[in-house]
Amino acid sequence: MHEKNSSLEGGTAADRHVAVEYSSDDEWACHLLAFVRAGFARDEQVQYFADSTDPGRVTRTLTERGVDAASAVRRGQLVVTTADETYLAGARFDPDAMMGVWHESVDAAAAQGFNGLRAIGEMSWGGRGIVGAERLLEYELRIHHEVFEQAPPRAWCFYDRRLLPRTTLGVLREAHLSRAAAADPGETPVLSAAPLTARPGFRLAGSAGYECRQVVASAAAALAASPAESLTLDLSALDHLDIAALADIVSAARRRPADAPVRLLGAPAAVHRMLQLFPELRAGLEVAEL
Amino acid sequence: MTTHTRQPSAPAPEDACFRHPALFYATEEEYAKGVGGFIRGEASRDQPVLVAVPDERLPVLRDVVGDAHRSVTWVDMRASGRNPGRILSMLQEFADRHADRSAAIVGEPIWVGRTAAEAREATRHEALINLAFAGRSATILCPYDISLPEDVLQEAHRTHPVVGDLDGYRHSPHYADPLTVCRDCDAPLPEPQAPVVLNFGQRNLGGIRDTVRDWGRSVGLSAERHTDWLLAVNEATGNSVRHGGGSGTLRLWRTPDTAVAEVTDRGRITDPLVGRRRPDPLSPGGGRGVWMMHQLCDLVEIRTPPSGLVVRLHVALG
Repeated sequence: MHEKNSSLEGGTAADRHVAVEYSSDDEWACHLLAFVRAGFARDEQVQYFADSTDPGRVTRTLTERGVDAASAVRRGQLVVTTADETYLAGARFDPDAMMGVWHESVDAAAAQGFNGLRAIGEMSWGGRGIVGAERLLEYELRIHHEVFEQAPPRAWCFYDRRLLPRTTLGVLREAHLSRAAAADPGETPVLSAAPLTARPGFRLAGSAGYECRQVVASAAAALAASPAESLTLDLSALDHLDIAALADIVSAARRRPADAPVRLLGAPAAVHRMLQLFPELRAGLEVAEL
Repeated sequence: MTTHTRQPSAPAPEDACFRHPALFYATEEEYAKGVGGFIRGEASRDQPVLVAVPDERLPVLRDVVGDAHRSVTWVDMRASGRNPGRILSMLQEFADRHADRSAAIVGEPIWVGRTAAEAREATRHEALINLAFAGRSATILCPYDISLPEDVLQEAHRTHPVVGDLDGYRHSPHYADPLTVCRDCDAPLPEPQAPVVLNFGQRNLGGIRDTVRDWGRSVGLSAERHTDWLLAVNEATGNSVRHGGGSGTLRLWRTPDTAVAEVTDRGRITDPLVGRRRPDPLSPGGGRGVWMMHQLCDLVEIRTPPSGLVVRLHVALG
């Protein structure tokens, strides 16, 4: 198993939000079993949000592999449902609402007497054209600061390589600070976005051109929504950024509820040149060197 | 020949507000009298004046005008107007900044030593001035050194409604419709020898950027110009995917002193003034990409053959 971090059961915010990739039913089952067993051992509530998998198969697989799933379901420690019945039941996938749902779910698990909450979400709906699916990357980026650095749940995002395009999967994988995959780390996207760990903010890496506009739009939306007073956008691993991407970032910076400018860290030469051509874009930004 | 230059006062045939005379000069003395007199006259009336001429001409004019006139803005046209395609944006920006008054501008876009391709694009710029400033209250005086090639001087008669010298100004009988002049400037572009040819679409734009970056470094673009190069070519290829039918062909080659990129696609340009006015950087429309290409490159040549659009970008090496 490929792991970016030393432990998928570690306690930092980065450890508790993991992208899990699999290519077979057996890989899926192994990840499922490890996650559920660790949760039961800690007396945590485990919620499973299925998408492509029949919910009954989740409990059957656990039972077949030695977990008393039926008892866990009866005492409310294991909840197996579907994304369609829960967070996709509305008109659209709404990351803004999801942040509140997470905090409410943590409180509910505590109220039921559990030591914590952990959840698996099958994310294959992200490739199905669901209304709001284009905001999935924004959600994955925001959740680190807005949920996992504020509250102690643990989430594994299940990405089935058989159901998502490789480029889509690559971008979503890179939005997680911890990743698990049986093999084949997958292709590196032209542009990736991820949350920062040392401070509130995000990092763009690679090269941002027209073909990457959805990634930039997602990062910009995450930036605009962030409640953090001081926010950094680390561009030090960015080779190139085009004017459309810079305009998206500036517009997002100006939409933020906080008054403080967004700190652009380590911006590549292209950004400095565009700010020479369009000095008015500096409003809302603070350009800083590494 | 009189010893005193009259203010260019003859109205353009089609526009009573906008004046766009060409002043032909032979000597530095004539230049000082004709151009310097114009500047001094406008400045003494406290009109905003922009003087954009080759750097070696600036001291001549400063001597005539003196330092008393704070309303004069001096610009080295060799630098600011190196690419003729970006001059019009500068002129419009100046006029916009002084929209409450009648702007007076001296613009000398063609000097001895301009290449034929640069002179052609500068002639296009001169024609487009007439479209861009139509109806505006402004005067743009364009000095022409009569030692310039004859074809360049002939074009000046076609792009300026009024022409003159120290003897005075008169309507140009050769003045032509600006769009006709622009079409005549669409000379076929010379074929390069052994260019790198790359086909692109949305799926491989990232890889194309990597190639353009590496190629630009391999031919010796300085760090600063390499940034300009990559930004400009990226805007051109991105425009092809966005507006030019979703794909295009990129060719890269070098001349002894220039890196050249040419993007061909199935797009069309319907506005002859696209990219010649400073855009809102937050708006994807308004010719933002073409305007940037003009600012970043030393020469931009755009052709619209029946098959689509050809954009050729030149960036000096070194």
